[in-house]
Amino acid sequence: MGRYLGIFLTFARACLVRDMTFRANFLLECVTSLGWMSMNLAFYLLVFTFTAEIGRGTGWTREPFFAFVATGLIVNSIVQAFFMPSAEELTELVRTGGLDAVLVQPLDAQFLLSLHRVDYSSLANGLVGVGLLGWAVSRFAEPPGPVAWLLYPLLVLCGVAILYALIIMLAAATILLGRNQSLYDFWFYLTNFSRYPAEIYSGPWGGPIRALCTFVIPILLVVNVPARVIAQPFTAGSWGGVAAALAAAAAMLVVSRVVFQAALAKYRSASS
Amino acid sequence: MDNTPPATPGQPTVIQVDGLAKHYRVFDKREGLLASIRGLFHRETRTVEALRGVDLTVNQGEFVALLGPNGAGKTTFLKLLSGIITPSAGTATVLGHVPWERADAFRRRFALVMGQKNQLWWDLPAAESFRLHREIYRIDPTRFARTRDELVEMLDVGGLVNRPVRDLSLGERMKLELVAALLHEPEVLFLDEPTIGLDVVAQHTIHRFLRHVRTERRVTVVLTTHYMKDVAALCERLVVITRGSILYDGSLEGIVDRFTSHKIVTLDLDETPAPGRIERFGFPCEIRGPRVTLRVDRERIADVLPEILRAEQVRDISVEDVPLEEIVANLFRGAAAGGTGGGR
Repeated sequence: MGRYLGIFLTFARACLVRDMTFRANFLLECVTSLGWMSMNLAFYLLVFTFTAEIGRGTGWTREPFFAFVATGLIVNSIVQAFFMPSAEELTELVRTGGLDAVLVQPLDAQFLLSLHRVDYSSLANGLVGVGLLGWAVSRFAEPPGPVAWLLYPLLVLCGVAILYALIIMLAAATILLGRNQSLYDFWFYLTNFSRYPAEIYSGPWGGPIRALCTFVIPILLVVNVPARVIAQPFTAGSWGGVAAALAAAAAMLVVSRVVFQAALAKYRSASS
Repeated sequence: MDNTPPATPGQPTVIQVDGLAKHYRVFDKREGLLASIRGLFHRETRTVEALRGVDLTVNQGEFVALLGPNGAGKTTFLKLLSGIITPSAGTATVLGHVPWERADAFRRRFALVMGQKNQLWWDLPAAESFRLHREIYRIDPTRFARTRDELVEMLDVGGLVNRPVRDLSLGERMKLELVAALLHEPEVLFLDEPTIGLDVVAQHTIHRFLRHVRTERRVTVVLTTHYMKDVAALCERLVVITRGSILYDGSLEGIVDRFTSHKIVTLDLDETPAPGRIERFGFPCEIRGPRVTLRVDRERIADVLPEILRAEQVRDISVEDVPLEEIVANLFRGAAAGGTGGGR
């Protein structure tokens, strides 16, 4: 474990050196990322000038909803900073045969392929998310209790794990297909469902989507469970969501590992 | 196949390959828009036999060259031996390990350098990649520093290790790739066209370096190349692969003996020979003034040379084997035509 941490820190250090070498690019990425996030926040503020709550009786009034948005920012910024850059590079590695060099190294290929690039500019959104969460929580009528504060980081990590597992399964598809640009688009569309409270998926169309995105691809648990723990009163019924998030994260990690190993065994490599 | 014994008999076996085969199913894409649309619904595939039941034994300390035309299966063979891909049939062990099981204990003991692929971090100095290597291979810091300095000095790349790799020339990059590959002191080194695209000076430096590595560190090396200069400078043993099968496995001298029936005799005469005068000694390949190049049957060479010296006013004479390039090209052509190739 210590060795893997050491290697990850070496990767992280090298990526920082690289980012600092291309300072202008780094700053531009930060500005683009923050700009996109600010537009989203402005849009939600606009929505709350027309309504006091997202869905009647859901509890997602302005401050709790911004805690939800902040949780989404934190989870996504971790994924975008630590896992997505490597996954995006994988398509190119498979297409050009660059994956060969990874497979000959005495290291877990999944670790190497999913953690060798760090995009520091994506952490900017996460920092804003932490600030936004602090602002929202400070305005709650009933502040979260110690159990909620203890569970929150754990559930954020569960959300990250579910998204990571999804990325790994898409990466496995890349290895099998040789190219899968559209599958990464699929990832983007799918994770869009996680950006909103689960309550909005109701009725004859919303119900099946909610069931699919909870039990088949547990994308709705990614932000909803930690956000609910911090932004809404913690009751005995809340433990169900916590258990579901923990179980889903564990199951997704195991399944993604199996799928990824099977894909690596079928790797064909590119011609020289 | 030639059954010449390995060049280092008595040494332990490092690579043992039996009946190794690799088949791929590939999509046959037809030309034209209609055919492309049809291909969405019905795909025609065919099986490509990249490697067909190869047997090979390599002993410790050997330097083996794999030669073959493009698409012969050389790189596929190296990828199988380094565990990058899995075979369709057959068995192989390298240092006692099945390569495609990808055990860390195995991967710590070999290195693969691909001339056409960059393994160093592109935007960073090679020193950063070396540092990462130290972590990945768990190299003791003192040993790492000693090996790195030694390799850097041997290849004279001390001034390059702190420059971003993207700013280096191809030759400089390849030298640093070799340093990175040898930092963990591998016992087996797989080199896939390491001198491709390099100028003669860089080629010469790399040849000298690889000879040193092989002699001093007792590394077993398997090299694929298209350059006969690499083969002549480095290898005692040559394995010719065509269409996925081994056509020849033996010494450099052996391939000359087996696949050529003649020698090349070059004469510098006093004056241009009269037409028809020189043909009795052998087949004239080239007559340029008083300089004549003849192809003489190997079995006749001992008789022909004194005859020439007696009959002609000879200023200079040289006798050479047919160039390796020519022999190998004939072998490739013969294999492509479905025969065994060669000059006989």
